[in-house]
Amino acid sequence: MIVVRTLHLAGYEEHEIVQAANGREAVAAITAAPPDLVLCDWNMPEMSGLELLTALRGAGWHVPFGFVTSEAAPQMREQALAAGAMFLIAKPFTPEDFQEALDPVLA
Amino acid sequence: MTYIPSADDLEVITREVWTSFLDGDPAGLLSGSDGVGAERVTGCVHLSGAYTGSIMLACSAPAARDAAAALFSMQPDAVTQTEVIDAIGELANMVGGNVKSMLPGPSALSLPAVVHGQLAVPGAQMVREVHLTWRSEPLVISLWQQAAQAA
Repeated sequence: MIVVRTLHLAGYEEHEIVQAANGREAVAAITAAPPDLVLCDWNMPEMSGLELLTALRGAGWHVPFGFVTSEAAPQMREQALAAGAMFLIAKPFTPEDFQEALDPVLA
Repeated sequence: MTYIPSADDLEVITREVWTSFLDGDPAGLLSGSDGVGAERVTGCVHLSGAYTGSIMLACSAPAARDAAAALFSMQPDAVTQTEVIDAIGELANMVGGNVKSMLPGPSALSLPAVVHGQLAVPGAQMVREVHLTWRSEPLVISLWQQAAQAA
């Protein structure tokens, strides 16, 4: 919910937002209707964010992908980028953080 | 020697989260409180790995309701237990994730858990605690470590 609120505050309220409760739901939603961008938590039930990204890339899906997570250790950032993520936004974040990361993809 | 974040570190992290998401006013969170009473909401995330323990966020029921209202841009009267649980879990997750980055790694961070009342983690001992006050209501952040590691 706070990610959706921040997306609105950052000016992305015109975009359709589809939410998934866990990694498996996300795979189903992404493959059924590929979005312009996936924003994903690192810690999730069923499947971690990194596992989700790896599964998507392994299956040939190259949808733009970024993490929004409560932790951002340097090695996590490295892992995320190595797996094909475009960015990692750490909480607490601001609408400006979202604009900086998302504008190159969505603007 | 393993560095364990200080009580001041916990306060700085909590202020950053509160300022970003709940108030926008660094002065809104005051140092010190008389402690949280029995009518509390407790959020917890667990760390396992190089550091094994927990980060807990406990606050009064009115503070939990106001935090949910602020976090989700709702009127306090409209907040249900679902929003309270989501908000306190998210706040514990954010504080815990930032505390984790100051602890030795690698460790895995759990999904948050939220209870109404006090939460006990068997075998863990509290190593840091900070008392704060938000909107005249108490808020306590604590860092716990499994006894085997703390010894």
